[in-house]
Amino acid sequence: MIIANSLVKSFGDSTAINGIDLQIKKGECFGLLGPNGAGKSTFINMMYGTVQRTGGNLSVFGYDPNIDSRKIKKRLGVVTQENALDESLTVFENMMIYCSFIGLPKLDRKDRINELLKYMNLSHKKDARIQMLSGGMKRRLVFVRALLGNPELLILDEPTTGLDPAVRHLLWGKVRELHANGTTIVLTTHYMHEAEVLCDRLIILNHGKIAAAGSPQKMIEEHTPGYMGIFSLDEKETIKKILSTKNNFIHHEDSSGIYLRSSTLPELTSIHSDYGLTPLQIRPSNLEDVFLKLTGQELSIDA
Amino acid sequence: MLNLSLSFSTWMESVRLCFHITLRNWTVYKKDLIANISPTIADPALVLVSLGLGLGSFITNVEGMTYMQFLAPGLTVATALFTSFFESSYGFYVRMTYENVFKAMLTTPIGVREVVIGEMLWVSLKGAVMAVGVAIVLALCGLMINPWLIPATAIVGLLVALPCGAIGLLSTALVNNINQFQSVYSFIIAPLYFLSGIFFPIANMARPVRIVAEFFPLIHGVRLAQAIFWDKGIAHAFMVSGSILIFQSLVFCSLAYWKIKEKLIA
Repeated sequence: MIIANSLVKSFGDSTAINGIDLQIKKGECFGLLGPNGAGKSTFINMMYGTVQRTGGNLSVFGYDPNIDSRKIKKRLGVVTQENALDESLTVFENMMIYCSFIGLPKLDRKDRINELLKYMNLSHKKDARIQMLSGGMKRRLVFVRALLGNPELLILDEPTTGLDPAVRHLLWGKVRELHANGTTIVLTTHYMHEAEVLCDRLIILNHGKIAAAGSPQKMIEEHTPGYMGIFSLDEKETIKKILSTKNNFIHHEDSSGIYLRSSTLPELTSIHSDYGLTPLQIRPSNLEDVFLKLTGQELSIDA
Repeated sequence: MLNLSLSFSTWMESVRLCFHITLRNWTVYKKDLIANISPTIADPALVLVSLGLGLGSFITNVEGMTYMQFLAPGLTVATALFTSFFESSYGFYVRMTYENVFKAMLTTPIGVREVVIGEMLWVSLKGAVMAVGVAIVLALCGLMINPWLIPATAIVGLLVALPCGAIGLLSTALVNNINQFQSVYSFIIAPLYFLSGIFFPIANMARPVRIVAEFFPLIHGVRLAQAIFWDKGIAHAFMVSGSILIFQSLVFCSLAYWKIKEKLIA
């Protein structure tokens, strides 16, 4: 459905996307992860032509977005990073305007809006001005807007940034439902857990290049397999002692704590029994560990 | 043949989208109608009272008429200038930068071309309506020789609002922040307003000023409006000033489209 070959985008001297190859299949939920400025939004905008690629090939639904962006845009819905709702208008008025933009038949508009407002639990706010909505409600409404045209492809650009956990979980549920019903989804996020929960496959972008690709599970197995023990920074000396006798830990440290990774759980728990050191947390290693490792923020305790 | 019909349907869709952008602006505009409409009504009224009645009492004869009569056509044109310039400068800038309206709009089948044309359609319609509104008031004050010509002021409003709106849009694309519109206003819009023959016959001005003024839309709009208000040489004015305004509209709109595209499409 989406194919990119040695895709490049440069803005003057700086290169935002520097040679990306990827394929997103129909029905897939595909994640784009990466630090701020890694090129996630640039890639998303290239998919529907508001950013024009400067090199390589990109095809969406078989069309070139540099040329046929309108044909592409008719078949997708976007949850934009900014809400971009008309604050002075009501919920219903906002959605009516969008229906007119996407060319939904006049007679279907009301029903479609009502149906989606209900789906996103917003029916009671139909006649409220946007100004009166909470952040979570606005975000849900942006989902409604993206779904009005019943898109084959749903692009979610940081859909849950700044939302409370309850709204986030609600939106995850909806995304999973849409995914289950066959909608192809492309998601960017800074929440690793979100990507782990939702995505079939993902890539981690760094400096405009793909640093890693695969399913969340595969990426964890490949880059940071095993279990992670997190210890307080106050235990630096003891940890140093442990590391001098045991060399089967991968360790790094940042301002949040000291991280020891091991391939088995008993190795980590033995730190408690052997040295009397209680970890802040012991957990299976996750996508966040992969992310920090690959985006160059992993620091050695000895460094 | 297939190709032709295909491009015709694309064209029709483009027209439909432009129309919906205009409609969207109207939907937002009418939410705050009183606030939005007050400068357009209040400003010409203020000029009419202060300059027309106040200053005008000292001026008994301008080109063979009272000062009020001389001033009236220019006020209609000034209304079209301000309503279009502010809409496409501050208004568009706020929509683009603070409200992110176009980020969402451009995810729909709308492209930059529709955004610009829709915007220009909106400012020119607004210019036409406002010009007619002001002309009605002026005609009621007895300042229009033939009140049956009121509908013709709609064309003046449209032909002035279009290039002036394009100038506003062009400046939107060129400023780096919203404060810089003040420079555009002080160095372009205000001089245009004061030196385009609205307040006194331009023939008395220094030659360089007259030449520069010809390159901007306002003076041509003033000539057109004067012909209509004074019922004098209307056909000629439409032919000459009208054509110039259409030409300037094309130039400024193309420039605006080209620069706005750079802003909206990276």
